[in-house]
Amino acid sequence: MPAMESEPSDLVPRDLAAELLALSRAQGAEFGEIYAERAVVTAFSLEEKRIRSSQYSLLQGVGVRAIRGEQTGYAYADGFDPEDLREAARVAARIAREGPPGGPPRAFAVVDAPPPFVLREPFALALDETRKVELLRRADEAARAHDARVHEVSAGLADSAKRFVVANSDGLWAEERQYLARLTVTAFATEGDVRQQGYATGGGSVEASYFERQRPPEQIAREAAALAVLQLRAEEPEAGTYPVVVGPGWGGVLVHECFGHGMEGDVIRKQSSIRATQQGQLVAARGVTIVDSGTVPHSRGSYRVDDEGTPAQRTVLVEDGVLVGYLWDLLNARLTGQRPTGNGRRASFRDFPLCRMSNTFIAAGQHAPADLVASVPRGLYCKNLGGGSVNPADGNFSFQVTEAWRIEGGRLVAPVRNATLTGNGNDAMLKIDGVGDDLAIEGSTGSCGKDGQWKAVGVGQPTVRFTAMTVGGTRT
Amino acid sequence: MSAPAARGEPFGPARLLALGEEAVGRARRAGAAHAEACLESLRAFTVRVNAGAIESLKQSATHGLGLRVLVGGAQGFVSTTDLAPESLDDLARHAVALARFSTSDEANAFPTPAEAGEDPRPDLSLVDPAILALPAERKIEMALTLERAAVGYDPRIQRTDGATLATRDGHAAIVNSNGVTRASSATTVSASVMPLADEGGGKQQTGWYGMVKCRLDQLADVEAIAREAARRAVARLGARRVPTARVPVVLAPEIAAAWIGEMFEAFSGQAHLKRTSWLTDRLGQTIASSLVTLVDDGTLPRAVGSEPFDGEGMPTQRNVLVDHGRFAAILYDHYHARRAGTRSTGSAVRSYASTPDIGAHNFYLEAGTESPEAILAKVDHGFYMDDQGSYGFNPTTGDYSYQAQGFWVERGVKAYPVEGVTVASNSLDMLARVAALGSDLEFLGSIASPTLLISEMTLSGE
Repeated sequence: MPAMESEPSDLVPRDLAAELLALSRAQGAEFGEIYAERAVVTAFSLEEKRIRSSQYSLLQGVGVRAIRGEQTGYAYADGFDPEDLREAARVAARIAREGPPGGPPRAFAVVDAPPPFVLREPFALALDETRKVELLRRADEAARAHDARVHEVSAGLADSAKRFVVANSDGLWAEERQYLARLTVTAFATEGDVRQQGYATGGGSVEASYFERQRPPEQIAREAAALAVLQLRAEEPEAGTYPVVVGPGWGGVLVHECFGHGMEGDVIRKQSSIRATQQGQLVAARGVTIVDSGTVPHSRGSYRVDDEGTPAQRTVLVEDGVLVGYLWDLLNARLTGQRPTGNGRRASFRDFPLCRMSNTFIAAGQHAPADLVASVPRGLYCKNLGGGSVNPADGNFSFQVTEAWRIEGGRLVAPVRNATLTGNGNDAMLKIDGVGDDLAIEGSTGSCGKDGQWKAVGVGQPTVRFTAMTVGGTRT
Repeated sequence: MSAPAARGEPFGPARLLALGEEAVGRARRAGAAHAEACLESLRAFTVRVNAGAIESLKQSATHGLGLRVLVGGAQGFVSTTDLAPESLDDLARHAVALARFSTSDEANAFPTPAEAGEDPRPDLSLVDPAILALPAERKIEMALTLERAAVGYDPRIQRTDGATLATRDGHAAIVNSNGVTRASSATTVSASVMPLADEGGGKQQTGWYGMVKCRLDQLADVEAIAREAARRAVARLGARRVPTARVPVVLAPEIAAAWIGEMFEAFSGQAHLKRTSWLTDRLGQTIASSLVTLVDDGTLPRAVGSEPFDGEGMPTQRNVLVDHGRFAAILYDHYHARRAGTRSTGSAVRSYASTPDIGAHNFYLEAGTESPEAILAKVDHGFYMDDQGSYGFNPTTGDYSYQAQGFWVERGVKAYPVEGVTVASNSLDMLARVAALGSDLEFLGSIASPTLLISEMTLSGE
């Protein structure tokens, strides 16, 4: 496969970038930006003990954005043909239909930001295909060997290597390289008439040795297999509203959905989020601190600069229950007089940036995790969650729970299948009555969808207890 | 404003087919025993309006190629947006090199002309010249009207989360080394709006309504779309919770359609070969109320889920999956059909950037005879569900558990709006308990259902 040896700046020469930026502002736009990208994805999938497919894909091109006031014009071209790029710039420029040309951009100054972590040998570049396929075979064998009731296994390994350059009419020039890898395993178990599945994953922005040293495929496979087998004897969840304890790590998807989305600069500026007027107010229980940070080592949600060239940073959203900060991209920061926080992100050059979270988590608290469960007379312990969603305008959120246990008398007494958690984000963070000291950030799995754009994110939390949440189920 | 003049030769069907032949030829010369090219080109325009002004305007013209090769019975796949002839050789070599990492499998094959049948197929009227001719100014005006009408519906609606109008027109081609060559074209137009109704105290309720259509004259008047979205938002004001109970649940058409969509995988040949579906071993059995007839049809004229041939060049067809309650058919692409010793149902779905997967075309529950009001009238105490969270279905077990919004139903009428609850059951149980089916089947996208009454589900609340 082609190595990514050349520099991001090779994608578009500076003189062409300057010309495109001038074209993007030729009809009165105040701000112009180009984003040139080349992304290579390699993927292997295993089904029914066969390597079903070996894939390679290349996505490359340039997007041009023009902004006038609150209005965005966007066009892009696949590839780097200068004439296609000029046409894209002219189309984007039309958002501003009257007004004098904006003139040439300011002289470019290269954004200098430290990498959030050092990647010596990125998995996506260093490992050859034979060894990647071997990881899948090892996962398949380990899942099947774990328990005779595991009758089928699906596994996939995908890695991506991407470089981009972003330049704007304010003179910004930023270059970035990003490398991701992810190994996923789904195990299917059956016993009599009962069928269940379990899913586990590993990866992130990781070194070539990651799946050897930190998280071997056998470990991921055994987690998936153990979950599938556990679900075979899981009971139906009890419907109702009662105490819920959510385990560390991926449980942070809860704070991402039911709080984080309402803190993004676009919904704050447009005042469609209830959080827009709550600066300085108590929005979460005392003792709860919520952070978004683009600098978590090796997470999928981390980056040196965001997709607008702003360096990633750590932003405290809630400090001891009080709302202290929002997330900002360039457009929404400029319109509200705020400072960008490095949260302008886009799925690819085919999309304009949106204000997005990076790695969002609840900071560690004081409680021993075991104590948080031990003090619940009757409730649900959610060891792991699946997908979740929120409607930021009305606050209604829900999550699928992939591994749950019924709590009786402070003890985990029985596994529970297919529970759903629901509530309203407006008050969910106020219902926290205990934060554990076991913070974990899950940076190998998450993808967040917004306005049709999917983007890698990290989420995290320590063990967190909620006084009450509505649990969907069939037992009454 | 007008569309940009295309540079050089446009990526129409003829050019896509020529590029496909070229790619397949190069793959064969690079050592592939068999090769298949899938090509797409797409022009898209999206305008989003907020607070009475354009928020964003996006225009694009894209094209891409996916190249699948078989070497010694093993499959390699590459995709790219770089269609330069000099790049195609590199691409072909990559595909051949990748194939040696895959497992040799005698079921791997591409359709032959005999299997793919006659071409051309009957015209499905999927291209609307009126969409192609719609000027950008008109699209912007439609989006502005859509938002204005939503805000004007009721004084409690002061803003929206945005109104969107989008058009797409695209071409697709399949060329394989057995001699199958197919090309098709389609257009779509879509409109949607999400009004926000003020509840007081910073809380608001949302209503969403929208649709995607093949032809401009199928799209509802934008003011009618706005009224329906606004009506939904206002109707939710004052929503409250209700106690946990087992009750009859009426699924609004979009909620029933979402459930149907989640069930699709249970009808896929891959899930049956892997024995990972909750319908495994149930083919031929009664799995649903006799009211239920479930169809996947890629041949409906003027429907957004239609195409004359599938992602491997096989003709699409009408597949009846559940016939009056009986599990009647499983869906296959070419590979899984060969594994199962049957023929493809024309169900290979893909984009140029992916290998074929078994997927839905127009997937729907056939309409019944009762009006939605008559169905509601059957419910003494129960729940009418018309909004849901995004996640809540388990494809292995068929378990169903969603966050829900809707209305409490008392003596056959909607008494008050409800939020903060979940609705749960299992799909087999729900299918058996379908007690009434509405006459109100309407395609807002490619998956559709009429109003459904499920005689009992568990509502989780206070």
